[in-house]
Amino acid sequence: MDDLVIVGSGLTGLFAASLAARRGARVTVISQGRGGLELSHGCIDILGDTPLSQGMHHLPAAHPYSLVGRETLEAALDALKQIAAADGLEYQGNTESVLRLPTALGSLHATTLAPRSMASGDAARAEPCSLAGLESFRDFHASLAAIRLQARGIPLGPCLELPLLHAPRRRDAYATDLARLFDDERLRAELARAWKPRLKGVLRLGLPAVLGLEHPQQAWLDLEERLGVPLFEIPTLPPSIPGLRLERVLRKSALAAGCSLLEGAQAIGRVDGSTKGRRVSGVVALSAGGPRVYGARAVLLASGGFLHGGLVARQDGLVRESVFDLPVHSELGRDVWVAETPFEPQPYSMLGLRVDAQMRPLDVRGEPVFENLYAAGGILAGPDRSREGSRQGIDLATAYRAVEMALA
Amino acid sequence: MSLPALSADQCLKCNICTAACPVAAVTDLFPGPKAVGPQAQRFRHPRLPLPDHSVAWCSGCGTCTRVCPHGVAVAEINIQAKARLVDERRAPLRDHLISRTDLLGSLATPLAPLANFALRLAPVRWAMEATLGISRHAPMPAFVGRTFRRRVQDRCMDRPPDPNRRTGQLVAFFHGCGTNYYEPELGEVAIAILELLGCQVIVPPQVCCGLPLQSNGLFGAARSHARANIASLLPFAREGIPIVGTSTSCTLSLKHDYRAILGLSGDEVDTVAENAFDFFEFLTTHLREPLERLALAPVQARALYHAPCQLKAHGIGAPALQVLRRVPQLELAFSESECCGVAGTYGMKREKYEVARRVGESLFRQVNMVKADFVISDSETCRWWIAGHTKLPVRHPAQVLGRALGLA
Repeated sequence: MDDLVIVGSGLTGLFAASLAARRGARVTVISQGRGGLELSHGCIDILGDTPLSQGMHHLPAAHPYSLVGRETLEAALDALKQIAAADGLEYQGNTESVLRLPTALGSLHATTLAPRSMASGDAARAEPCSLAGLESFRDFHASLAAIRLQARGIPLGPCLELPLLHAPRRRDAYATDLARLFDDERLRAELARAWKPRLKGVLRLGLPAVLGLEHPQQAWLDLEERLGVPLFEIPTLPPSIPGLRLERVLRKSALAAGCSLLEGAQAIGRVDGSTKGRRVSGVVALSAGGPRVYGARAVLLASGGFLHGGLVARQDGLVRESVFDLPVHSELGRDVWVAETPFEPQPYSMLGLRVDAQMRPLDVRGEPVFENLYAAGGILAGPDRSREGSRQGIDLATAYRAVEMALA
Repeated sequence: MSLPALSADQCLKCNICTAACPVAAVTDLFPGPKAVGPQAQRFRHPRLPLPDHSVAWCSGCGTCTRVCPHGVAVAEINIQAKARLVDERRAPLRDHLISRTDLLGSLATPLAPLANFALRLAPVRWAMEATLGISRHAPMPAFVGRTFRRRVQDRCMDRPPDPNRRTGQLVAFFHGCGTNYYEPELGEVAIAILELLGCQVIVPPQVCCGLPLQSNGLFGAARSHARANIASLLPFAREGIPIVGTSTSCTLSLKHDYRAILGLSGDEVDTVAENAFDFFEFLTTHLREPLERLALAPVQARALYHAPCQLKAHGIGAPALQVLRRVPQLELAFSESECCGVAGTYGMKREKYEVARRVGESLFRQVNMVKADFVISDSETCRWWIAGHTKLPVRHPAQVLGRALGLA
């Protein structure tokens, strides 16, 4: 019997797993596949471009931040920083300042914590920067980003196109291909020699985020030193290297702390028969041979929203949670789930589980459905996270609170 | 159209599989699982020649299916596409030879000393490479003079005992070719552990699981092996006697590949699949209490555990770790590699050897870095491959448990 079974291995699930296992709990993570971290920019957004102390008061009482409180959010951020730094991936920033980082499409991404290799791209820095594309890499075009950044009043030097030795020739290069090249110290030295003459007069250089995967910060620092120019990374299309780095760090930390990670197993329901009234006794997951039972003292749903399979919408407009068939409160008719254009707030993205301050899903009367069932992250009802710029902050803060409660 | 092919429509092109693919990471000859799988599947007309042959570089490790968050059977699509390639181009003699492990075993066993001597001679390996295309660098296991079945024929029955002669939990042991022809001591220690835990072990008649044939695209022969095993295991499965194996690839065939890749269906194949278990899966689910009562002696060593792809595809995590973590003084490190590279017979092929070796390089490096005294892995081909490249002993976790129990 485990202390905690977690469903889902995105940022919420892996962070919760690492936290709980580091506190000595017996933890199993069940996930159908890998989570969305590999599709993310690798930064931690807290409240868009609003410092927390200004924005926190204006949040509704049901907002996940209001439920857990600022202290929990700060503790979660500290824990994440600590876990990542222990594996050589440093995060910079704090909840009172906002980083504005250039994106591959030339907008500015307002975020709170960023890996060091990205934080140095902050638009508030004084030194003007240049952007460079890498030869044969189709997922990042320096001039496209530069035109739009300049239109926003960001001063930029001329764009560069830098050669890549030994890049794949027989097919398109993925970001992962290039990141693995940069893991090789000899190759970095070779690239630095080829690039250095082209960087005269460049004070700061933005590159696509492919500077190393195995020992990310090491590759970035080493290249920076060899070139004598401060470098920063800009995330590209998936597979996103900064997201992948964070995922690997969290998975490694969970595994090292004794956590069991079950990949390719779909959680399909609760363990029946031995449920004592209002408690769940575990999760049933599908394996290659058939259903298997994972008994647990507490269960945490970190299975995400619609895109990730945590929520399921039926033809008749009914929305349910996918593992425990929990009710999802929705006053909205199906016809108004989606806004007129993709760039408006999307009503469907606010659907999800309502929880109490302990992160336990509530039934229609407002009572916890089960005493020992918790939910965190994208599965929770609440704000339009993309618009609010709070996705990762909500994931971390609610995961932190859920773990505290589940192990209490 | 096969079921896996239909799942291609679930693909969101997120590239999570591409990022995890161990083969695409080391060669640009392989466009990656997404490109040759759900994407290329749209261009494979049932009656027209295949337009592209790059899927031949897929090693069949199954990582892509396991990491897919949307339930796309990427690996299954690709293995079926590889079989169509074989139908079109005909497999070389070599592939017919190396995929008939039981035939090779029964021919070589009586001549074991001679066969082993010959396989150690460089000129023989040169000749095998030149005439057959079997890489002269690929590590080969040594045959034993007396098969596992022979060794245990007096100890274990090959059919269920009469109801009045049953002494405990009955277990049908599926040994596979690896144990029968190369590592009989593994089977013996597995039986000793099961007996210590109160089981009565039966060794049913069986043939090769057919996985080597299946991976070489020889589906017709693989299906006849599958049918023979189903026929011989069904009486056990029908009685609810668990079919337990130490070879993770054999048990995966019984659970999954017969149905999902070879396309067998019906009550009989389902019953066998649902009653098949990996050795440690069985121990940790069915024998939990006696297992927890076992007193384990210290094993003073540092070991690196590598979960084979064929185990990870079971969707049960790595159950051996739950037991290994309990062995006193055994210091465990965890493999950070998706795959060791060999993927059954893939690494034995002249044209594939170098790719397979490069896949394994990060694992071999890690083994060195952590200064492991030995490596632990549940799959035989991984063990032989890792041992050949690291020059360290590589054990099945059952052998490590056997040592902690004073059985080995």
